[in-house]
Amino acid sequence: MANKMRDVLKEIQKAFSTGVSYMLPAVVVGGVFLAISLATGTATDEGMQVTSPFMQNLLDLGSAGFAMMIPILAGYIAYSIAGKPGIAPAMILGYVANNPIGADGVKTGFLGAMILGVAVGLIVKWCKTWKVPNTIKTIMPILIVPIFSVLTIGLLYIYVIAGPIGAAMQWLVSVLGDLQGGNAVLLGLIIGAMTAVDMGGPINKTATAFTLALMAEGIYGPNGAHRIAVAIPPLAMAVSTFIDRKKYAADDRDLGISAFFMGLIGITEGAIPFAVKDIKRVLPAIIIGSAVGGGLGMLTAVEALVPHGGLIILPVVNNKLWYVISMFVGVLVSVLILHFTKPNLAETGKGKQQKKNAEPSIEVTK
Amino acid sequence: MKVVAVTACPTGVAHTYMAQEALEKECQKRGYDIQVETQGSMGIENELEQDVIDEADVVILAVAIRIEGEERFEEKMDMGKVLQIEPADAIKHPSEVLDKAEKL
Repeated sequence: MANKMRDVLKEIQKAFSTGVSYMLPAVVVGGVFLAISLATGTATDEGMQVTSPFMQNLLDLGSAGFAMMIPILAGYIAYSIAGKPGIAPAMILGYVANNPIGADGVKTGFLGAMILGVAVGLIVKWCKTWKVPNTIKTIMPILIVPIFSVLTIGLLYIYVIAGPIGAAMQWLVSVLGDLQGGNAVLLGLIIGAMTAVDMGGPINKTATAFTLALMAEGIYGPNGAHRIAVAIPPLAMAVSTFIDRKKYAADDRDLGISAFFMGLIGITEGAIPFAVKDIKRVLPAIIIGSAVGGGLGMLTAVEALVPHGGLIILPVVNNKLWYVISMFVGVLVSVLILHFTKPNLAETGKGKQQKKNAEPSIEVTK
Repeated sequence: MKVVAVTACPTGVAHTYMAQEALEKECQKRGYDIQVETQGSMGIENELEQDVIDEADVVILAVAIRIEGEERFEEKMDMGKVLQIEPADAIKHPSEVLDKAEKL
């Protein structure tokens, strides 16, 4: 039983790796194009405004890359588990996860897409074991499997998962509202943590919606905390790959460079590939780091006047010095946590060699 | 001995090819025939044809992701002639991997 459980976990980990592998080019297109175009924009009340029409087109291309990245992730997670028939249904549901749906307009981002990808993979795999007459066999892959999997998992998601998440989001907003004006540092910590926990998913967007609502009332502090935290996950992953070179393979180090620029420009999504690959170490590190950054920002009364993050909005930040310091400290905390939790690649290798007749298995970290 | 292998890692730019090289070197040292298909980010390179696979004594799948064309190896899997490992295993201790493959 324990063995079977481990096999399933192994299969799911392999599925996540497969999803990332197919998603990466889309992340790079999105990140690079957004970074270049946003860098030419000016900071306004509505966020970064790109004025040049050419750069606006580039921005649209980059946004398309980011919009595609989540469906691709879900699609190829399912592909890994169930093969070809898993791709299209999971891509459809990945798109659903990344866009507002249901009465509350719930969006679950990459975490939702990962769950839906696995769910579709499992159900399609199960469909493939059905014993059906030959006449039906021909229409299984093009008619029955896609309709059945999208219908069941999709409705389950909308009615059973998205509903409670929507309610939870509303509850979070009211909790945050109570904290506002009360415990500022705690509010900063929570906003910071929410920003990092799903990197563009519902919790992150709740934090954004909350800070935007306060901005409308002329309160800019929580937005400052949020905007500090936005940059921390990608910057922390980048700095971690720069410093702890032994903990990352060559390809991850290259990814670190692009994450660095995404961080400067306030694109939290730059850290997603790292998180999907090693969620149990990366997510706690960036959540704590972002919480510290957000808390410190609130403590030192940093205010961001625009709804965008990263260092490019520095000209429109009040208390610029602490904005940068808070961000830096948050990154440092995350990097330190990663330093102690992520294993060295070389060390795991040595440990393996010491064990005689060690079975080549999945225990070696890539 | 005739060996065929597939290597594939998540990012598909480094480990895939390092694993290929490690397996090829080890086999050269032992005087084995080997053909390695890589499934990196450029897709399938040096593709293994079905007849090549059928002739092989053993299959090594050094893969961390789901590979394309897995069904080509089904027959060998039923015969218990497929060794499934991580790319990192092939890079770090290729001789252990080959020892294991020999015993299949």
